[in-house]
Amino acid sequence: MTATATAGRSVPPSNRPLNPRRVGVLMFHTFTQLVRMKVFYFMGFFAVILLASNLFNLQSFGQPDMEGMDVLRTIRSWSLGAMTLFSTVLAIVATALLLPKDVEDRTLYTILAKPVPRLDYLTGKLLGVLLLLFSSLFLMDLLMSGVLALRMHDVVNSQLAAAAKANWPADQIAAMRVQTEAQGVTWSLHGAVFAVFLRSAVMASAALLISTFSTSTLFTTIIGFLLYFIGNFQADARHAALGGTGEGTGPLAKAAGLGIAVIFPDFQLFNVIDSVIEGAAFPLSSLGMLTGVTAFYVILHLFVSWLVFSGKEF
Amino acid sequence: MESAVEIRHLVKEFRLPGHKTPLRAVDDVSITIAPGEVYGLIGPNGSGKSTAMKALLGLVAPTAGTCSIFGNDSLKVDSRQEVGFLPENPYFYKHLTGAETLRFYGKLCGLRGPSLEKKVGELLELVDLTGARDRRLGGYSKGMLQRIGLAQALVQEPRLVILDEPTAGVDPIGSRQIRDLIFELKGRGITVFLCSHLLEQVQEVCDRVGIIFRGRMVKEGSLDDLLSIDDQTEVILRNASPELLAKVREAVLADGAAELIRAGKPKTTLERLFLQETLDRKEP
Ligand SMILES: Nc1ncnc2c1ncn2[C@@H]1O[C@H](COP(=O)(O)OP(=O)(O)OP(=O)(O)O)[C@@H](O)[C@H]1O
Ligand SMILES: [Mg+2]
Repeated sequence: MTATATAGRSVPPSNRPLNPRRVGVLMFHTFTQLVRMKVFYFMGFFAVILLASNLFNLQSFGQPDMEGMDVLRTIRSWSLGAMTLFSTVLAIVATALLLPKDVEDRTLYTILAKPVPRLDYLTGKLLGVLLLLFSSLFLMDLLMSGVLALRMHDVVNSQLAAAAKANWPADQIAAMRVQTEAQGVTWSLHGAVFAVFLRSAVMASAALLISTFSTSTLFTTIIGFLLYFIGNFQADARHAALGGTGEGTGPLAKAAGLGIAVIFPDFQLFNVIDSVIEGAAFPLSSLGMLTGVTAFYVILHLFVSWLVFSGKEF
Repeated sequence: MESAVEIRHLVKEFRLPGHKTPLRAVDDVSITIAPGEVYGLIGPNGSGKSTAMKALLGLVAPTAGTCSIFGNDSLKVDSRQEVGFLPENPYFYKHLTGAETLRFYGKLCGLRGPSLEKKVGELLELVDLTGARDRRLGGYSKGMLQRIGLAQALVQEPRLVILDEPTAGVDPIGSRQIRDLIFELKGRGITVFLCSHLLEQVQEVCDRVGIIFRGRMVKEGSLDDLLSIDDQTEVILRNASPELLAKVREAVLADGAAELIRAGKPKTTLERLFLQETLDRKEP
């Protein structure tokens, strides 16, 4: 704010919507609020799950290239599963908690009584939740990568030992090693974690949208989870219909499908996470596409939330 | 000169679920407050004071009529640049400390850096919370919350301060401090729009008052005009001996036309006016 914005003209340009500094203040405030609500405690649970998945012992199959591969896969699959669970729950619950809480506690009055456009408030809240999701997934990724790298070391060693016993030729051993390392910490794996983040981002913005017209946390949470399951179910149904006969879908189901498609991206897109767990690569182009689709839906949700919220009275 | 507050024919109706007719909380209220004035809105519970203030801040949209602050329409964000608001029963983020709260609101107003830090220190000093600066608001008492709310309202040095029951839940000492603070604001030329149930204080600090009853403005004017009784004259004496009083009485009796109604300490009369305008009012 410049010192020249004084008495005469009381219309400083910074009161336009989406002032980055103001949104930033609200974002970091929301982040702090959630952190001080002790949401990071669930990181402890994540560590426990990770350790549990790590307890699987290396099994000998007599086949060097299979030695310990399932351990790596278990770690990947358990970690990503836990990440999905935590990020979805966190996205819905945290977002559902924030807005009705501000309305109930009437802290919203004091914020909106300051020169804060309502769009900035909503954007700040959403970005705060996204920041929390991103940083917690980042931490979980670090933990998972650490554990995976350690186990990888064990697995490679035991494979090498088994291969030496079986007198494999050097080039076959090298090929096996490449194959095994694809099961370790790869860029595709980080990409999958990012996809988990994207999915939770869509859920957070959807929960924000719901919470603008419901004032109760419980309602928002329930509807949020319901939509999440419907979205996932519908994505499967949509693909079944497209891939199969296509005759089975009645007009009602089609309308419902269309409705969901307006609210949510095709959740089937996120199935790349599963293929990455199986060791498939996650090309950058499809990651970019996924990011684009997610951004579109998040902005759409934010926009509709703003439309609802700007007419609201407290 | 542009008025600090301009409320014109404000009507606010709330649609209640399950009711056909909406509830008219504010009914054709007009208030104009000149810059530098201290205006008090009084009225019984549920008469629409808070609703009028919220409409002025754009927190509720008027059903009819307009509100503006220093010429800026209340429904626009710009109107809130120059205003500080203390809501009734304020409640802030429990997870923030006193200093963090003020910093947060200051940043929302565009303040930052050393000037913000200085302001935070000053305000905490002003509302007597320096000792609780690093304690979280979750552990603040009601009076302390009220004070941090007052500090928060003043953070961007607004030209207008709107206080919804600033002394509710504050002890007599704190309440006196808030009164002094309002005097100080007035001295600095800041416009104050407040509502309170402490009529004695309203009478002390306000230049003008409005009495609102069931959403309607039933009486408005400067305190002097409202409270002076035209056919009566008050003579206030200091160190008057009983003999002098007896002489005064005699003189009055001798006059024939005049009549001595009462001699004693002057009483709060805004309270009497309030009761007369609300409780004793015949149905309109
Ligand atoms: N959001 C709302 N929805 C429905 N009715 C409301 C709402 N806000 C206020 N009212 C009603 O409007 C009327 C005026 O309320 P308001 O809060 O303005 O009163 P008040 O003068 O501030 O009272 P108090 O002295 O108790 O604070 C009341 O009847 C109240 O029930
Ligand atoms: Mg009130």
